Amino acid sequence: MNSTIVGTKQGVSPWRVVLYVTLIVFAIFYLLPLFVMLVTSFKTLDEIRLGNILAFPSEWTTEPWVKAWGNACVGLTCEGIKGYFWNSIKMVVPAVLLSTLMGALNGYVLTKWRFPGHKWVFGLMLFGCFIPFQIVLIPMSQVLGFFGLAGTTAGLIFVHVVYGLGFTTLFFRNYYEAFPTELVKAAMIDGASFLGIFWRILLPSSGPIIVVTIIWQFTNVWNDFLFGASFAAGEGAPMTVALNNLVNSSTGVKEYNVDMAAAMFAALPTLLVYIVAGRYFVRGLMAGSVKG
Amino acid sequence: MSTTTVRSGGDWLRQFLPRLVLAPSFAITLVFVYGFIIYTGYISVSKSKMLPNLDFVGLDNYRKLWKTLNWQVALDNLAIFGILYIVICGALGLFLAILLDQKIRGEGFLRPIYLYPMALSFVVTGTAWKWFLNPGLGLEKTMHDWGWASFKFDWLINPDMAIYTVVIAGVWQSSGFVMAMFLAGLRGVDEEQLKAAQLDGASTFQTYWRIIIPQLRAVFLSAFVVLAHMAIKAYDLVVALTGGGPGNATEVPATFMYSYTFTRNQMGVGAASAMIMLMTIAAIIVPYLYAETREARHE
Amino acid sequence: MSSLEIRDVRKSYGAAHILKGINIGINSGDFLVLVGPSGCGKSTLLNMIAGLDTITSGELLIDGKVMNDVHPSQRDIAMVFQSYALYPNMSVEKNISFGLEMRKMPKAEIDKRVADVSQMLQIQPLLKRKPSQLSGGQRQRVAMGRALVREPKIFLFDEPLSNLDAKLRVDMRTEIKKLHQRLGSTIVYVTHDQIEAMTLATKIAIMKAGVLQQLGSPDEVYNAPANMFVASFMGSPSMNLIPSKLVMQDGKLTASVKLKSGQELFLPLAENAAYNAWQGKEVILGLRPEAITDPGSAEATSKLLHQADVLIDVVEPTGADIYARMELNGQDTVGRMRANCGAIAKQNAPVTFNMQQAVLFDPKTEERIS
Repeated sequence: MNSTIVGTKQGVSPWRVVLYVTLIVFAIFYLLPLFVMLVTSFKTLDEIRLGNILAFPSEWTTEPWVKAWGNACVGLTCEGIKGYFWNSIKMVVPAVLLSTLMGALNGYVLTKWRFPGHKWVFGLMLFGCFIPFQIVLIPMSQVLGFFGLAGTTAGLIFVHVVYGLGFTTLFFRNYYEAFPTELVKAAMIDGASFLGIFWRILLPSSGPIIVVTIIWQFTNVWNDFLFGASFAAGEGAPMTVALNNLVNSSTGVKEYNVDMAAAMFAALPTLLVYIVAGRYFVRGLMAGSVKG
Repeated sequence: MSTTTVRSGGDWLRQFLPRLVLAPSFAITLVFVYGFIIYTGYISVSKSKMLPNLDFVGLDNYRKLWKTLNWQVALDNLAIFGILYIVICGALGLFLAILLDQKIRGEGFLRPIYLYPMALSFVVTGTAWKWFLNPGLGLEKTMHDWGWASFKFDWLINPDMAIYTVVIAGVWQSSGFVMAMFLAGLRGVDEEQLKAAQLDGASTFQTYWRIIIPQLRAVFLSAFVVLAHMAIKAYDLVVALTGGGPGNATEVPATFMYSYTFTRNQMGVGAASAMIMLMTIAAIIVPYLYAETREARHE
Repeated sequence: MSSLEIRDVRKSYGAAHILKGINIGINSGDFLVLVGPSGCGKSTLLNMIAGLDTITSGELLIDGKVMNDVHPSQRDIAMVFQSYALYPNMSVEKNISFGLEMRKMPKAEIDKRVADVSQMLQIQPLLKRKPSQLSGGQRQRVAMGRALVREPKIFLFDEPLSNLDAKLRVDMRTEIKKLHQRLGSTIVYVTHDQIEAMTLATKIAIMKAGVLQQLGSPDEVYNAPANMFVASFMGSPSMNLIPSKLVMQDGKLTASVKLKSGQELFLPLAENAAYNAWQGKEVILGLRPEAITDPGSAEATSKLLHQADVLIDVVEPTGADIYARMELNGQDTVGRMRANCGAIAKQNAPVTFNMQQAVLFDPKTEERIS
């Protein structure tokens, strides 16, 4: 399509200008809320009341960030969101690692060690990714309560591993599906064991899909709200729940700048991952919706 | 087995080890997905209120559910939100993908900007938009400051319009992702077809409309399924943006289920609403998954 | 002593029968080639020998021991795969030594073997590289090195040359043949390429639709094909199969063939008691292209030469030879002639039929009449 709307050497075609302007307008649309959030978090409350949300702070202050982190009131305690931030970290790391490892092993079995009915097993696991999680809230809260895991980070880790397995299995299955089976056969003849083949042959070649899966799981678990709100009350709540409590608490003066700083804290880990490894993030999104 | 067979003791283990490795995951799925669905299904026909109560009451909860005004509101809102969210995300995603497909300088810079909201939590998105659309201090005030005194944007607190703010925030979050899906689809179209179309004298518009877009049917389907699925599950966004309010103006099935189950002590009704959600999603997802896995099966 | 024995081996997936009772035995030092069109079951059979596929019924013996339920790593076999199956994350050296390492061989011994094999295959300079840094031919050598280093009872090759370009394929073919002659190893080799089969094998097993069609030396399967399938599968261009009638002419049994001109040729047949019963009946006459040639190229020692002028339809030069196409009994037939024999399209040319090489088939059963 070179000839159609590409600009000529003499001058840029008007279509081309419209095209770029449109693209830039949309870029602004996508950036605006983040921009507003960011500048608000550096403004004083007075400036927020008087000023304009799109303006840069006339006086930059990190006070809201300090307060959001250290002594904003979430619920009844006023110790900031730092505790909840660490709750999320403590929940995310084991949940992501466990579900990724299990997904990798599942994918390996489902592609290279097929048994009668493997398609059914995979199909049933896959459907588990798509259920509305409302359907498991009632029994899960009872099960967690029964095992004394209600309100604990361990309970949340368990929940996230259980409902993350479908996707991690899907990712690794699709990846290993394309992995040459002859390599597995060769390793078998060479005398490598079931786990030896996985460890020495498949895993060293799984770098990209491991990254994709970890990012996907990290984003999902970090951003989860429903499970956090349902199974982790008070002190044990993850970051997203704490943010919502902070923002929607109706007591005291509304400190928008602190709210926005807290929201930034909640957004930063996943944004950071997106900036550092966006390519893998997109691949995960695609793999989760369209076939590998 | 007439002659000597070299059968080592490890053979049994070797044969069943793969299945043994998969077994925990599969068992977890059976119990925590399917077992729980059955359990919730049973709760939905039981007398459960604040606590589970296994007395059977037939379809009473479903009848009650359908008579609840809140549920009607939730369904209406889901229809409004779902349709607009899917249509706008799809249209905007396709539009942006086509624009970005015009050999744009700086595509590598623009694309991540369109897509980054997908990395954010819906809670963060809700918080940001809630502030941005704040009638007192947000966009409205800024417009007034800039001299547009008549500008009025109070959708967040207007019961008739609040659901549309959910649409805006939802579209903001997901349309970039749809764009990425379409862009991948566009890039997958054979270059030679485009050359052929050019030789046939098709304009850019005709090329897209007649040749490229019809080939994106699979992407349309995937996008629809993903968006529909997200729309039905949407919970965090509504909670963070409007809290279901003003009043019950932005109640959706997901918030309805949560409040009836955990705060209004109507566990049976909550379970019934969850079952309805499940069935709706299953009606969309199951045929899709079936088709997708069948396609992959032709080896 | 029989090194590999396949006794009535079958493979079924439910109602689908992939292998229908295969019987093959080879001796130590044999080079067995399994050849046939795709889907004939040759790869399945190879995988069964390797232990990578289960045997539905029948027995598989290596050195007299039943191997049906023995794990691949304990069958003392090594395999070269079509895609080479080199481990992408390991260096060439590691790829070659992996199997020995898995068998807990002492390091010194491994190093010695790797050194020997890499010298034999001339891949020493590649030892530190990763498979992705190798050319197709180099990968092929490494894959063979990985098999050779194991010094197994039987080598299995699964279409090892099919991913190479034409020239390299011929070179590697020669190299494999040399290797076999040098080491005297037992080899089972799968290919769909009949030229590979002819050049490499000491024994060829031709398969079709899960049934063994013929097992024999290259000479046997070429000159005395068991049936029409083998006749047409082996050799290129393939054997001409001309419908014909056996008639007595001058007290001798001949095959009658009508030319386009309407003239009828009576091609003499070799003495064969089995032919007599077919007098006056329809048969299929099988003639290799080299048995239909210009008088100057005809095998002088043959006692059954028959010359006639035949209208040549098309001439296809191939360099050294030309393929001359003509119609015999309405059937498009290829003869192979010297390039300078003077045959020209749409003109008559003298053609010699070497009937010593002719074979006859039963048109119903498609089996050779003998």
